[in-house]
Amino acid sequence: MAEYAKPLPVVNDLNRPHWEGARDGRFMVQRCLGCGHLALPPMPNCSGCLETSMEWVASSGRGVVFSWIEYHQGWLPGYRDETPYNVAIVELEEGLRVVSNLVGLPHDQIAIGMPVEVWFDEVTPQVTIPRFRPRV
Amino acid sequence: MAVRDLLDRACIAGVGATPQGQWPEYSADDLAIWAFREALKDSGLRKAAIDGVFVQPSFGGQGDLKTLGHRLGMEPRVAANVDFHGQALQFATLLVHQGLCNYVACMYATNQRTNRNRFASTAYHLGGNFDDVYGLSNPGSVAAFNYRRRMHDFGATEEQLGAIAVAQARAASLNPLAVYRSPLTIEDYLNARYVIAPLRLMDFCMISDGGFCVIVTTPERARDLPKTPVFISGLGSQACFLELEHPDAMYHPPQRPNASMLWENCDYAPEDIEALYVQDAYTPNVLAALENYGFCEFGTAHEWVQGGRIELGGELPVNVHGGQNRMTYMLGWQNTHDAVLQLRHEAMEPARQLPDPEVIMATYSTGLWQETWSYIFRR
Repeated sequence: MAEYAKPLPVVNDLNRPHWEGARDGRFMVQRCLGCGHLALPPMPNCSGCLETSMEWVASSGRGVVFSWIEYHQGWLPGYRDETPYNVAIVELEEGLRVVSNLVGLPHDQIAIGMPVEVWFDEVTPQVTIPRFRPRV
Repeated sequence: MAVRDLLDRACIAGVGATPQGQWPEYSADDLAIWAFREALKDSGLRKAAIDGVFVQPSFGGQGDLKTLGHRLGMEPRVAANVDFHGQALQFATLLVHQGLCNYVACMYATNQRTNRNRFASTAYHLGGNFDDVYGLSNPGSVAAFNYRRRMHDFGATEEQLGAIAVAQARAASLNPLAVYRSPLTIEDYLNARYVIAPLRLMDFCMISDGGFCVIVTTPERARDLPKTPVFISGLGSQACFLELEHPDAMYHPPQRPNASMLWENCDYAPEDIEALYVQDAYTPNVLAALENYGFCEFGTAHEWVQGGRIELGGELPVNVHGGQNRMTYMLGWQNTHDAVLQLRHEAMEPARQLPDPEVIMATYSTGLWQETWSYIFRR
């Protein structure tokens, strides 16, 4: 298998639970203990109530395509050689919108509103990146 | 004090521009000084009269008061770096109205084309490198997500979007300051490659070198100066940092409250506006502005711009300087400059002079649609 050439997550104390969760097959998002506001990527404080006490919870990983685009010019390593590739905004059932890629279907079949679910892409033995595929 | 108290209390007494394009022999600081000198000449003011200076630093670090300051050789009462043109104009308006300054020079210059700035930065300000992991690396993505959504929500087509680039190319062909003056047909537009579909090459701003300067003063002081003053007769501003969390994230969230502030606090309505300038880092910005500021119904701008309506001679000429894909990419500074020239009947080429305009509107917003400003300029 060819080496994964695209950017890998830069793991830090703030986002570690998300990437470790992905390796365990869970799509972890940050939740504010003060007001329940959800965030991904995680933030040092809640952007709703500014509280700094946060927890991590597993999302259903289910949602719909909110919008999507197709890069025909690539600027990042790995992606540069795979144009055209897609980037999508997925609106999760919990209401949170996240940026990801759609896999498992040709681009001409992607539609806004299409139901999708998280799919855990084991890109290296150490790293798993959550992406989304059509939900049946 | 109310917003209305600011109307007609500040005016533009002079503007200056360098040639635009690629100027490898000039630094951004050189270009800022050049534009400032042009604006001083235009206004009839001496440098020593300027007691307020706002500088927008260019991407890459130059054109910053830290480097530019000692070259100006001035002792202004107020001097600050600002982030955006709309902000500089707003602060200058307040300063001259309140009497803190008499003449405020606002300037921006860049040599980012020579420096080969790439703007391959994040699209949303996402923490960590979540954008990079998913290949989201160009700020134009925000407008591309928007137009895809518009296609879904309102049945917009890719060809309809092309009307903006075609109109602006026609305008640029008449503008001596424009970097690209070749004509563009809808076929050319559709045959150009996608950059980030559904957006094509001509939907993206260029990268260019150049500088602009605007001098703001009070109407009383402007009366003693050679050029016809251009009044600030309406202003609005709004920021929104909710990004994807905003329910209307796809339709330029801060613009609607900005529009309310503008229209509720001035004596004009959209039908009074004779020409509109939009900061168009990406062509869908034009559609957002037309809808959010009330020139057409929400969800219809892609139809509204068809048939020459936004061209010179049309119902509402938009970006008659040629826009940031054809004229120059100067973060909106070119909007104020061209509006002033038009209102003073100094549009350089008779073919591009609007017929005796009195009221022109300009809007400014960042590529990521977080901060917005709008102004009504009146002769």
